[in-house]
Amino acid sequence: MSPSSTSESNSPAPVATVSNWTLIKRMLGLAWIYRWGCIKVLLLQVAVLSLGLMALGLFGLGVDIIQFHINPKAKVPAYPLGLQPPPDMPVMNVVFLIAAAMLVLALLRAALTYQYALASNHLVQSEIVVDLRAQVYAKLQRISFRFFDTNETGSIINRVTGDVQNVRLFVDGVLLQTVVLVLSVSVYLFYMLHIHVMLTLACLASTPLLVVSTWLYMKKVKPATLKTRELSDVMVRTLSENIQGIQVVKGFARENEEIAKFAQANRNVREQQNWTFWLTSVFSPLTSFIPQLNLVVLLCYGGYLLTHDPTFTLGQGIIVFAGLLRQFEGQVTTIATIANSAQQSLTGAQRVFEILDAPVEIQSKPDAVRVLKARGTVRFENVTFGYRAEEPVLQNIDFEVPAGSSIALTGANGGGKSSLLSLISRFYDPDQGRILLDGVDLRDLDVDDLRRSIGLVFQESFLFSHTVAANIAFGYPRATREQIEQAARIASAHDFIMELPDGYDTILGERGNGLSGGQRQRLAIARAILLDPPILLLDDPTAAIDPETEHEILEAMQSAMQNRTSFVVAHRLSTLRRADRVIVLEHGRIVESGTPDELAENSSFYQQATTTQAPDEESLRLLGLDLEARV
Amino acid sequence: MISKLHKRIHRAASRNGGTLGYPDAVANPQSRRRVVARQKEQGKSAPSDADTSQLTHAEFDERGAEMRPLEFGLIARVFAYMRPYRARRNWLLLIVLVRSLQIPALAALFTHVINGPLIARDVRGTLLGAAAFLLLAIFTQVTLHFRSRWALELGEAVVHDLRRDVFAHLQKMTMSFYHRTPVGRIISRMTSDIEVVRSLVQDVLFMSMVNVGQMIFAAAVMFWYDRVLFLMILGLAPILWGLNFYFRRRLSKALRAAQESFSRVTSTLAESVSGIRVTQSFVRQNFNSRLFLSQVVDHSNFNMQAAQKSGALPPLLELNNQFFMVGLLLFGGYRILGPGVGAEIAPVRAEALVGYYLMSATFFSPLATIGNIYNQALAAMAGAERVFQLLDTPPEFADKPDAIALPPIEGRIEFRDLSFGYDPDHLVLHDINFVAEPGQTVALVGHTGSGKSSLIQLISKFYLPTSGQLLIDGQEIRDIQSASLHRQMGIVSQVNFLFTGTVMENIRVGRPDATDEEVMEAARRLDVIDLIETMPEGFHASVGERGEGVSLGQRQIICFVRAMLANPRIMILDEATSSVDTMTELRLQNALATLLKDRTSFVVAHRLSTIQDADTVLVLDGGRIVERGNHHQLLGEGGVYANLYRQFVQATAV
Repeated sequence: MSPSSTSESNSPAPVATVSNWTLIKRMLGLAWIYRWGCIKVLLLQVAVLSLGLMALGLFGLGVDIIQFHINPKAKVPAYPLGLQPPPDMPVMNVVFLIAAAMLVLALLRAALTYQYALASNHLVQSEIVVDLRAQVYAKLQRISFRFFDTNETGSIINRVTGDVQNVRLFVDGVLLQTVVLVLSVSVYLFYMLHIHVMLTLACLASTPLLVVSTWLYMKKVKPATLKTRELSDVMVRTLSENIQGIQVVKGFARENEEIAKFAQANRNVREQQNWTFWLTSVFSPLTSFIPQLNLVVLLCYGGYLLTHDPTFTLGQGIIVFAGLLRQFEGQVTTIATIANSAQQSLTGAQRVFEILDAPVEIQSKPDAVRVLKARGTVRFENVTFGYRAEEPVLQNIDFEVPAGSSIALTGANGGGKSSLLSLISRFYDPDQGRILLDGVDLRDLDVDDLRRSIGLVFQESFLFSHTVAANIAFGYPRATREQIEQAARIASAHDFIMELPDGYDTILGERGNGLSGGQRQRLAIARAILLDPPILLLDDPTAAIDPETEHEILEAMQSAMQNRTSFVVAHRLSTLRRADRVIVLEHGRIVESGTPDELAENSSFYQQATTTQAPDEESLRLLGLDLEARV
Repeated sequence: MISKLHKRIHRAASRNGGTLGYPDAVANPQSRRRVVARQKEQGKSAPSDADTSQLTHAEFDERGAEMRPLEFGLIARVFAYMRPYRARRNWLLLIVLVRSLQIPALAALFTHVINGPLIARDVRGTLLGAAAFLLLAIFTQVTLHFRSRWALELGEAVVHDLRRDVFAHLQKMTMSFYHRTPVGRIISRMTSDIEVVRSLVQDVLFMSMVNVGQMIFAAAVMFWYDRVLFLMILGLAPILWGLNFYFRRRLSKALRAAQESFSRVTSTLAESVSGIRVTQSFVRQNFNSRLFLSQVVDHSNFNMQAAQKSGALPPLLELNNQFFMVGLLLFGGYRILGPGVGAEIAPVRAEALVGYYLMSATFFSPLATIGNIYNQALAAMAGAERVFQLLDTPPEFADKPDAIALPPIEGRIEFRDLSFGYDPDHLVLHDINFVAEPGQTVALVGHTGSGKSSLIQLISKFYLPTSGQLLIDGQEIRDIQSASLHRQMGIVSQVNFLFTGTVMENIRVGRPDATDEEVMEAARRLDVIDLIETMPEGFHASVGERGEGVSLGQRQIICFVRAMLANPRIMILDEATSSVDTMTELRLQNALATLLKDRTSFVVAHRLSTIQDADTVLVLDGGRIVERGNHHQLLGEGGVYANLYRQFVQATAV
């Protein structure tokens, strides 16, 4: 479907700013792909325009024939293409023939106009936009996380929706419109000149003024409406924050301050709007005045010609000319629109091509090693990594995890724990050093295979509003019910799932549909281990859970980690104690590491955690729990 | 890194669902997959009926009706909003009248110049006529300027006042309203619904007057030219009106369907962008791309359907014009030239042909405009109704007129036989009897749904007790002015909500007249000033929408300082469950201890330390207090609390 996408995805560096010319060339290339559709649309448009002109000419002829017949002073009508009716034909029949011809033209024109609307919509919405959206989306699915780190969700969505529309605007709004403009304006001009040269020039003298004023208007009104939009955004945000923070507002009795804040935002919108209104109501009378001015010229000069020029008639002269003027002016004002579209399409193209051209940083080499069943030995060799080159978040990380053992990562927020996990899934590549799975550099492995060998559980699980079963089978939609249940059992989720109204077929709501945090995380664990991956990454899965329900997950984590190489980010002592080995990360460096017992004896970090988290001795005594076994 | 993104993802996804207003997001790839599969079975490419009807239903629920018949009461109410601007409104009405005369007059003048001096070859007359035309044209444009500017400004003024009133009304609504109304719905009252009310003033009211007037005058002039020809026009008019009406109806339906399919596209997109990490880690890229393609194609099909409808109207309107020209030529020609015309019909003047040709545009074009305006009016009715409905919803309770302003209080809080239910038939709290002495810290413990949050909502006077009494310093809470209570109360909610602005501004919400020094002093007293100062710009660091750019720990700290600055007698605190790293946790615990000191505090507790330090722990179960006492006492009793605690200790610390 995308003839150019293969070459595009291999282009090297991300585009910072591309010259307009390059963008135009690429969009011309895009139009070339759809050339047949474009030509069809163009032909239809030309046909519609010429049919309209013919009808107008015929009407003028009709008026002249009638005039000639009843007014002896009137001039002889000029028949087009030498189609002089036989002299003995009754005038009424001639008029009837002309009317019939107009009727046929009108019907034909209506049919073609409709066809034109369909064809251009089909070309634009069903071909160009669909193809572009699919291409951009497919690319987005593969693009590196860096792109998502640096761009806001809204802006990314906009590239697939609005920006794609802007790019296609180049084809229909700029390219085709320009051709139509040039064609139609020349035809109108030719027709008018054919009627009378000097009259044409006199009537069109004001045209540059029309062009300039429309252009000026667009130029002025665009920033004004942008500003209005910004201010309304502020207003809406003030409202939405007020509603979302209503508890704070009411709790601190801040209603009046909020009303004042909103009043200010509201007033700003109004003032800005009034400025826009002023602009509009100055320019719109101006642009509709110019055509009227032309009519005045037509009246004066045309009236003069009617008296002095023997070939100038009322119908084919003045009436047709008035009709032509109207159409001509209509076309000329589109120049400003075209210029505007061109501007828009360039901005859109910049943003769309940026995605299409973005390198897929992480991809399998052509001769990548397939990993069908990894053993699960993971080794970090002097790894340094940063999201930005000059700010490493991990430095000189060096350790090895034997297959099947578990390792806990702990330390202050921002210490690099989550980044370390991202490297194992190869969401990023290290800047220095390398990571090995079963002795092979991750970069030499097939990426999809690698990721299928890894189960991943996030802090807050992103469950989809579909059935429980489908959520567990997210990574492998073809999984059988047995496989799904098996995974759910390991994650101690089977029992609570069976208690749901429709069991595995219960549809989850967007907000968890009554599932507790613990239940959702257990589903996430089931999802992660569905394919029995040799490696399991758990990124602090109890972080957002009530302590009261935390124990529900711990059991699930424990059985999921069985016989897998597991990495678990955790703050809780309980989790740390269960790992084979604990690594304390601080500012991207390993500051302490060892078995939990070793750390318990001489780690400052570990001891600090103990004091904040452990219950006091008195409590333990009251509970009758064994004191000696703990610390 | 992953975790932070995940929070955003989650929010984006739920926001998404919110705008769709449909918990089972038809939008997401998986449920689409189901639909697509079904389509394949049925062998059709259009979306299955079940899919669209479900969604339409949901959207209908969320947005309410799209249109509503014209209703005088609603129009009158919108009109009432113009009262403050009645001078302008009256001028506008006058201008409208002038304009509806001007437009046909222009056409008539032009006709007369052609038919009179021009045909008679009277150069002087032609020039004079042209000059008159020029003057009239200038006059017309000047009135157009004022007509459009004043109507636009008047509409904006009405909208401004409506927004002001809605916002002020929202501030009076009680928490129950906010708990049952989705944010998106309130915002759409303020945005899209009020927008259509704007169009009611700006376009519908004044434009329709100009257009109707213009039609009437144009008709009168044409009638004067020639009665028989006028009959022909009269015959065409209803056809034109009917066509217009029919097609616009169908078009707006098709456009809505296209819009809906587009919102499916965007929400899939949003979910894909937000869930990109899940997608890549579970290797779903190809699968998703295929789903998305099917959705985009689906949308383009809806678009084509809309295009089929929208594409039909302009050619039909144009066809009408052509028919008119043909009819004019034929009928007029026959009347002028034809032999044996009936005696009762006066022979038409040839000039009338020209006159009709020029005048017809001023007569026909309002027809299409009015059709459009009529649809706008119906939409405006629906919007206005929803806006006024919101304004007419009374707050569940308001301060009594004779409510007393609380003097500075000690902070003694007493529950007497208190019961409460959000719905009086379903009580969530039963027979609560309890006294918190000034300065005591009360920790509330219990399972989700045990009534902890409801209890603190009552103390905050966000709800009133269903029965029984709640006394603050011996004063019944119903008799107290809410603001005077809230000024002596600090509330820190679980979400740790921050407004867009700087850290300083957010803290100052606690006491708007506090100086910078006082804000910093509050932070110093909580011993967290270093944590704020290490942020990139310290107190002037900016907070993005929904607290973006500020870590969870920092957010909690800012909320603590905010409460500290307010220096309340009563502290209400719903502890956040999200865990932070050990170091920050320690700082938070210390700050919290300072914050609660010497204030009557109610804490929905999730931290061990908070529970252990509390003067009293209230254990709630099923809306009743089942155990009370301090931590060690309760452990000694070996009841519900001891069990909860044992579970907790075993899970987290063993």
